[in-house]
Amino acid sequence: MFGLIKRWKALEAKGIMGINRRNADYVLKYNKRHLYPIVDDKILTKERAIAAGIHVPKLYGIISTEKEIDNFERIVEGHNDFVIKPAQGAGGDGIIVIADRFEDRFKSVSGKIISREEIDQQLSSILSGLYSLGGHRDRVLIEYRVTPDPIFKSISYEGVPDIRIIVLMGYPVMAMLRLPTRQSNGKANLHQGAIGVGVDLATGITLKGTWLNNKISKHPDTGNAVDGVQLPNWDGFMKLAAGCYELCGLGYIGVDMVLDEEKGPLILELNARPGLNIQIANDCGLAKRTLAIEAHLETLKKQGVSETPEERVRFSQSLFGHVNEA
Amino acid sequence: MRALSLHLKVLITLLVTLGVAITAYQIFVLGIPVTEDETDDLWNIDARIEFQASPREPVKLQMYVPPLNQDYVSLNESFISNNYGVSINRANGNRKVTWSARRANGKQTLYYRLVLTKRYSGERPIEKGPIFRDSLPVAGAEKIAAEALLAPIRQHSADVETFISETIKRVNAKGDDNVKLLLGGDNSTANKARVIELLLSIAHVPLERLHTIRLVANQQQSPELWVRSFNGEKWLYFNPDTGEQGLPADRLVWWTGADELLTLDGGKKAEVSFTLNNSEMNAIRLAKLTDENTDAAFLEYSLYGLPLQTQQTYQIMIMIPIGVLVILILRNLGGLQTLGTFTPVLIALAFRETQLGFGILLFTLITALGLSLRSYLEHLKLQMLPRLSIVLTFVVVLIAIISLLSHKLGLERGLSVALFPMVILTMTIERLSITWEERGASHAFKVAVGTLIAATLAHLLMSIDELTYFIFTFPAVLLILVGFMLAMGRYRGYRLTELFRFKAFLKD
Repeated sequence: MFGLIKRWKALEAKGIMGINRRNADYVLKYNKRHLYPIVDDKILTKERAIAAGIHVPKLYGIISTEKEIDNFERIVEGHNDFVIKPAQGAGGDGIIVIADRFEDRFKSVSGKIISREEIDQQLSSILSGLYSLGGHRDRVLIEYRVTPDPIFKSISYEGVPDIRIIVLMGYPVMAMLRLPTRQSNGKANLHQGAIGVGVDLATGITLKGTWLNNKISKHPDTGNAVDGVQLPNWDGFMKLAAGCYELCGLGYIGVDMVLDEEKGPLILELNARPGLNIQIANDCGLAKRTLAIEAHLETLKKQGVSETPEERVRFSQSLFGHVNEA
Repeated sequence: MRALSLHLKVLITLLVTLGVAITAYQIFVLGIPVTEDETDDLWNIDARIEFQASPREPVKLQMYVPPLNQDYVSLNESFISNNYGVSINRANGNRKVTWSARRANGKQTLYYRLVLTKRYSGERPIEKGPIFRDSLPVAGAEKIAAEALLAPIRQHSADVETFISETIKRVNAKGDDNVKLLLGGDNSTANKARVIELLLSIAHVPLERLHTIRLVANQQQSPELWVRSFNGEKWLYFNPDTGEQGLPADRLVWWTGADELLTLDGGKKAEVSFTLNNSEMNAIRLAKLTDENTDAAFLEYSLYGLPLQTQQTYQIMIMIPIGVLVILILRNLGGLQTLGTFTPVLIALAFRETQLGFGILLFTLITALGLSLRSYLEHLKLQMLPRLSIVLTFVVVLIAIISLLSHKLGLERGLSVALFPMVILTMTIERLSITWEERGASHAFKVAVGTLIAATLAHLLMSIDELTYFIFTFPAVLLILVGFMLAMGRYRGYRLTELFRFKAFLKD
């Protein structure tokens, strides 16, 4: 009992944010419920992003009724690889990644041949709500297939690694690189067994990582060290993330991004309840940083000014950069 | 600003104060018992009537039943008779039940059952009665004997009360020739009462016979004859055998007047036997049972004012907030992961019907089987509604099989699954399988165990009788609960599991 109280005090001192605190002080306070559909529906997110000039994987087309399934050929015309996604799917279910065409058919990433009929079947399933959580009717989006930058090859196992940045009122708070593992089946979700690796906000150099609530420094599948890797185009990621506040209006979000070989940083999706393990990955509490940002916002408010995304990124980088250099 | 806003603080204070104040008012001012232990006696009286019906003749049986306008309150009254029409009518302060049948054959048995208790509260009705009567006609030797007896009685008495007790004493005096003449050799209580009435009528003192049942358990008895007279203010009761005055507290007046208890047409050998037993009942429950007949006003607007059937439902419903509170604490303070927010409460409610140990077993078994079916259905790529329907049907069949098997094995427990848990089971299976797909088997398992733990805890708490009684009787306690929940709504501290989740931070 006494040990637990001590532990509590220690966590408090480090500024570690708990679920209750995240919900009460950030999610409930900064995220208006009526804005949730923007992040829950990937098509809405994408439309907003395009309108705001934020980089997202190019949208090839939307299918929202059974009749529109006939448009499929026209949508993917001229594209050899693309991704079919349910707009409101969760956990990566229902996603088909087409890597190539093969005669009249398609070829998945793993090399499996998929016929046109199978694709139609899948489209119809998505529309009927098979993959949306409440079983509601859904829409299909067909978009550009991201090719991960080769920089991740050495520290990643299959799948597409992504970068999550937690953003409070447009100020990047903390960043993490999420690497799929054999255990996570190529998915980048931490609770499914992916690795989270902290990223220094100022430089984009990776720090140590977390795997299943533990601290680690090597990838369990490849054995390579995960720290000390310079992520390319880091400022691009930061600006992209910071701009998401204007995009969706939600004050406390996790922005998931990927690094495409050709197009650079792209936004995949937004999360209105980002997880807390990013703290372990960065070996740093969220609450300390969010409090600093809130104090900064307070002073800005008194002065009656607001900052541009670039200014916000610079503020965060100056304050939270080089956290672990000492 | 961070923790509790002023608004919230005021609201919480208000709710808690209100809850405490109302509860305190109920306990200290209204004097409602805090526990269920305070009980009252409850009497169960069975009158069993047996007779031989004459063939080919309509049967009509009349019997007096208690008028119930005295110190006792009827909680339940029933007339148990096959093929007999029953009607009740009131006359001269008595109540009479009439059983009638067009045709009856052989030995007949009828029951009259009355459940009653002492009046819980309320004022006694104002009594009234006759204070004058005409003399009964009497002539010859009897007239002379009566007058001879009355002269000393007049001398020895001061008022109606002493006059009557003196009369009874004289009538019971052995060896008095005048009395012997009037009694005519018949020393039965009924005959004595007749003589007493005759004597008093000459003095214009009214007298009424009444027949009482003694409230004593498990003892054969027949109605006991008493007499009473109204002195202008209240009834004076006398025992015609002993002259004893005042009706003992354990007597229940069954009927008044000189008539027999039973009159029977179309039958013979009518016999009545009385059986009494008593049980104890919670004072509150009694008060609300008697509510129709008394004015226990303080219970009027409590949940006890509801019909009994509804009350039982509310006794379950009013405990749901307690169950929710348990979930709230386990989840937000403890960090236990459960399936949905209220599923554990629903499961806890289902445990009411299945009992705890068996319920856990049943839930585990059915959920495991249901999950395997669900994972098979997953391959068929069905839409949600048909899929849910299949799982539900499967659950129903499964429960039916389990019931059948356990019945054959002599385990009556298996039959205890009612309608309610089926839907809950189906939803549990569905949600669990979604969790399974989205977050993996180990997480699903963790969540399932968490749900069972929460449900068990909630069930244990919700089935504490004292707690149920307390909250049902003092529903204002719920306001205090709401106050606590409001405070929890702004709780920002760590959850217990987070202390372990983040222990990586403390290693260095």
